[in-house]
Formats: sequence, structure tokens, C-alpha cells
Amino acid sequence: MTDELRQAMAALGAGAPHASSTNPGATSDLSIDEALLLHSIGWEPVDLVFGVGWWSIPWGAFQTWQAGEVTAASDAFGGAMREASEQLRHESARAGGAGVVGVEIDISVHSHHVDVTLTGTAVRRIGEKPSGDEFLSDLSARDFSLLIRAGWMPRGLVAGASFVIAPRRSARQWAAQKGQNVELPNLTEALYLARERAMDSMQQMGLGLHADGVVNVKLREGPLGHNPRIIQFVAVGTAVKLADSGHRSVEPMMVVPLDDPVLAFEAASLRAKPGS
Amino acid sequence: MADEEIGETEVATDEEAAHPFFEGAQLPPDAARRLAELEDRPGHKGMFTSDLSVNEFLLIKEVGFHPVGFVMGSSIYHLGIQTRRWSQSQELAKLTEAMYNARELAMNRMDAEALELGADGVVGVRLDVNYYEWGSDTAEFIAVGTAVKAEDGKSYRNNQGKPFTSDLSGQDFWTLLQTGHVPLGLVMGTCVYHIAHRSLGQTVRSAGQNIELPNFTQALYEARELAMTRMQDEANELGATGIVGVRLEEKTHMWGDHTIEFLSLGTAVVKTEGEHQIPVPQTIISLDG
Repeated sequence: MTDELRQAMAALGAGAPHASSTNPGATSDLSIDEALLLHSIGWEPVDLVFGVGWWSIPWGAFQTWQAGEVTAASDAFGGAMREASEQLRHESARAGGAGVVGVEIDISVHSHHVDVTLTGTAVRRIGEKPSGDEFLSDLSARDFSLLIRAGWMPRGLVAGASFVIAPRRSARQWAAQKGQNVELPNLTEALYLARERAMDSMQQMGLGLHADGVVNVKLREGPLGHNPRIIQFVAVGTAVKLADSGHRSVEPMMVVPLDDPVLAFEAASLRAKPGS
Repeated sequence: MADEEIGETEVATDEEAAHPFFEGAQLPPDAARRLAELEDRPGHKGMFTSDLSVNEFLLIKEVGFHPVGFVMGSSIYHLGIQTRRWSQSQELAKLTEAMYNARELAMNRMDAEALELGADGVVGVRLDVNYYEWGSDTAEFIAVGTAVKAEDGKSYRNNQGKPFTSDLSGQDFWTLLQTGHVPLGLVMGTCVYHIAHRSLGQTVRSAGQNIELPNFTQALYEARELAMTRMQDEANELGATGIVGVRLEEKTHMWGDHTIEFLSLGTAVVKTEGEHQIPVPQTIISLDG
């Protein structure tokens, strides 16, 4: 470590407004606005924390000549997610945080393993000792402060995934109704149910946390990179719980921003792009 | 180059076609189980799921609604073949029908999930079309949204006894209710149109000139009008007094340059009884860069 670096680190520690002896400096990926908002509700950032989960998928799980759900892959996803969350919670506790906000979720599914990386900022109520019941949330610090103001608390990050191999159709099926407008029930069912299952396992996690609800659910789906016949569905959200004080109105106001208007009109936007 | 066919096919069997995946309010067991877990019953505390952001969630609470669950519907649909004439602008009725049917299937399934939850409406509806590499001429139509229920116990269902649907965001929903309107349903009109190619003579005559190309103008104009009229008809059926947030989308999907789907989508609304004082908006200058 160079002297300059050591000096910079010392300056960072000395400059932190709520530095305590155990935690000399607050490192976070929050913007200035977000840090200010956190302080306005009586919270402070503590440290940048991360967790990684890496689970293997057994050989031959993605056999595309079969059809249906690949449960070995969704189990591996569940395991990797659990491991990463556990590690994130542990890191947050070690840094003295009460929970983690703004968790970035990076999921990658390969043919033989799933890895999940979670990065976020540990936060706590100013001056409060951690309770040992850390929450995780992918909400931004801005959303977090709004939620707290309205009398809600995040409970945890909930996620579910399912992987499905698209069923194939026989040559006979192929020719049977050439050129017709028709729904394909077996394909529809396979994808519909896979989506339901991803949401269901997310929901189970939420129910396990005794949450009142899950907000900000994001449903990501698409073919897997290494095999387009396999479609993955991932549902991620933040479980929330109403605090004892009950729901408080946020009293929204109607505002008209007076910023200079953006006078941009793209004529090309009216035209359909070839291939889109 | 007179006639060309759109699409190759890979199709389901007769038996499959005779039995759609599910119809009406009969949900598949997996979906019914997931939704049942969301509801409170003795010995089981339910919860809600929603894809609303925190802002949207709080604004929906603000106008007296509570989210009850994330609902969706989907359908994988095989689009038929229709012959197009090289030099003729025309609506491709069979493809229009396919785009309608498939979206209706997805929306009805989403409605069925919302009905199961006893919802009054679905907000933040998104209608998407997915294509997969392995399915030529097949597309997946999907509708997702958050089912909501009024906290005052009043019913907000529309004149067809269905929960209202709306593609408005939570912010827009809040603003709409401030003005004394309530949504009735997501209305849409679609038209798949083939636009005639220009003849060699026309191309030569217009080379280097500033002139309008009437056949192109007219074709696009007519297709848009057809889509918008159909949307308005749907709104009239719901007894709406207006449509807000209309979007007009033009996509060629997989049909090449001259065949375009014109889709217009909006939320049909109706004015509620009583006077509404619209608050005077505050003017702000933001300090963002």
C-alpha cells in the first residue's frame, strides 16, 4: 500500500460523519442524493457488502431431447441464491449494519453451474446496534426511505426460478394444420406453468418471511445462452411488512417541472424498423 | 413476383387444437394453487405480490386500493398464412384475426387470475410479444399486471362484470383518479396491412422529384384508421366517455417490409359522479443536472 493510498483511506475515515471506533469509514455505492435521503429518515450507510453463491448443476440435467421442467437447475438456483444471501447478511452483520439496500443481483446460468452475485450497501439506524435480523432488499436507497416514511419495512430479498425445455413437435403435427391460426396448447402450457412456478417459489420465500407483500417484482425470462431451447424464468422482488405504527400517507403533490423541455422529435420513430 | 406466402409452418395436432390450454375461469391447478396461497384464510396468512415500484405501490394505496397479486396470462400462437398481392394494398384479415385472438387469449387468462383473487381491477398491464428461435411463425403473447382491490369494499368492475384493466402506471392511475375518472378496461384495435409495392412506371416518374406518394400515404392512413376505429368500438362497448394514454405501435414482426401491424392501445375511462376539484399543480425547478 502506498503512502498516498494510506493517507486517502485515513482521510475517508476521519471525514465520515458518524464514524464510530469499530467502523471508521462508510463505503457505499450510494449517490449523494441517496445518502442525504437516508440521513433524512435517520439512517446511515455503513459499508459496501457482497455475497456470492455458486452451485453446480448435475451432468445431463439439460437434456434437450426431453421436455419439461429442469428441477435440478431450479434447485441449484435456489441454493446459490440462499448461499449468496446468507453471505451478504453475514457481511452486513459484521460491518454493523441492520440490513442491505440497493442490492444488485447478477445471475448467470451455465450448463454445469449457477452463480449468483449480490452487491449492496449495508445501512443502519444512526447509532443503533444491529439486531441480528438483517433484511436484504433490491430497492434503491430512495425507494427504501419512501417505504420507511410510509410505515413499511423491507423483510428480505425473495427470488424464484424455473427452467423449461420447450417441447418438440412431430412431423405429423407439423403438417396437420399448415397455415392455420391456432394456439399451440402444449407449448403454451409448458411456458405458462414455468412462469407460475418461478413466481410460486418466490412467493413461498415471502410467506416464509411472514411478509405482508412483495413489491417491485421483476420477471426476467428468455432463452439460455448455451441452449436456446431452454427458457429460464426468474422472478425477484423485495418482501415488505407493515410496521406496527400502520400505513402512513405519503401525501403526494401534483407538480409541473419547469425544466427546459426536451424538444426532440424523431421522425424515424414513427416508422417500423425492418426486422423489429 | 406476383403472390407470396407469409410463413412456414410447424403446427399442433388436431386433438391439441380441439382442446385449448384453458378456457374461461377454469385455471390450471398450478396457477390456482399459487393464487390461493396469496389469500388469507384461517391458519394461513396471505400476502400480495406485485411488480409495482415502491412509488406506484404507495400511490395506489393513496387512492384507496390495495394490491392483491401479480397476475398474468399467456398464449403461444401459430400465425396462419395469407396470400398478399404484390401491387395491392389490403388488410390481411387472417393475420389481423390471429393478432386479436392471441392477445385476447392472454388477456382473458390474466382476467381469470384476477377474478380468482376477487380483484376489482388490474393496473400496470403490459402486453408483450415474444419470439423464440425454435418456433417459426409462432409467437408468445403475454399479458402481466398487478391485480388491485378497493379498500372501501365498493366494486369497480366494469359493465361486463370483469375487473377493469389498464396499462396506466401507478403514477398515471393516481392522477387519473384525482380528476374524477375511473378506468374501465384496456382497449385495443389492430390491423395487419399489406402495403402495395410501387410499379416500375411510378418509380421512374417520381425519380428525382418532390412529390407525395399517394398509394403509400393512403395505405398507412387507412390501416391506422382501421386500428383506431376498432379500439374506439371496444371502448363504446364498455360505455366509456374517453380513452387515455393511447399508443399507436407499428411493427413488421416477421413479415418483411411491406406488411405491418398497426396496434392501438389505450385505457377506456369514465367520469364518476360528483364534482371533482383538480388540485392546482405546483411548479418546480429540479436541481438535476
